[in-house]
Amino acid sequence: MAKIKIDSKLYDRAKKFAELEGYSGIEEFICSVIEEKIALIDGPADQKAVHDQLRGLGYIE
Amino acid sequence: MERAFVTVVSGLPRSGTSMMMQVLAAGGLPILSDGIREKDPDNPRGYYEYEPVKKTKQDPSWVKLAVGKAVKVIYSLVYELPAGYNYRLIFMQRNMDEVLASQKKMLDRSGRQGAKVSEAELAALFQKQLTDFYKWIAGQAQFSILTVNHRQMLSSTLIECKKIAGFIGEDFDDEAAAAVVSPLLYRNRWK
Repeated sequence: MAKIKIDSKLYDRAKKFAELEGYSGIEEFICSVIEEKIALIDGPADQKAVHDQLRGLGYIE
Repeated sequence: MERAFVTVVSGLPRSGTSMMMQVLAAGGLPILSDGIREKDPDNPRGYYEYEPVKKTKQDPSWVKLAVGKAVKVIYSLVYELPAGYNYRLIFMQRNMDEVLASQKKMLDRSGRQGAKVSEAELAALFQKQLTDFYKWIAGQAQFSILTVNHRQMLSSTLIECKKIAGFIGEDFDDEAAAAVVSPLLYRNRWK
């Protein structure tokens, strides 16, 4: 499991939000935020790859 | 008595959706298909597809023709099916390595191009799409879902056909349905 450094104030804010949003802990909250951010960045390229594959196979236009 | 719902056969491409359509047809369920996509070495018994499905987002009017019948809809187009109908979704699950091997064979044979990413990336992308799909479908009240494992369909055919009969209701001949499944068509088996 990798470790990262995070500003203490940001950590406190994240901890507070994790509790408010009902996450099991701050780790789950931070992983969720990172995954959402990656999906936003990678989303269009990922969707294009899947689209290309489905179109190549003749299942979509 | 006509079924008051649309039976949708779905899954990833090459997950066994055409086989499931054959099974449903043999069991006596009417099929909505136009035969435009002809049988070939990848699907020697035919694709059982209906071209208007590909344009569902622009024109979903074909769905009314599918009530009481089975229609094949690739997983990514299930999202486009209109509200106002009841759907019974038979979702095919197959080992991802087998799916990708079969897709590659199909692309190679046709000379068409697929995604320009590695097989590992494509596997991860499809897995993510399936996870998202299952999350989404769980919240859709108009859908009932039955998942069918491709390998079990081949190894325990009659048991799976009985499950299908229970899912889509009476007047389905599970023994006739089971009789059409051929392990000989199971060519991309992952070892």
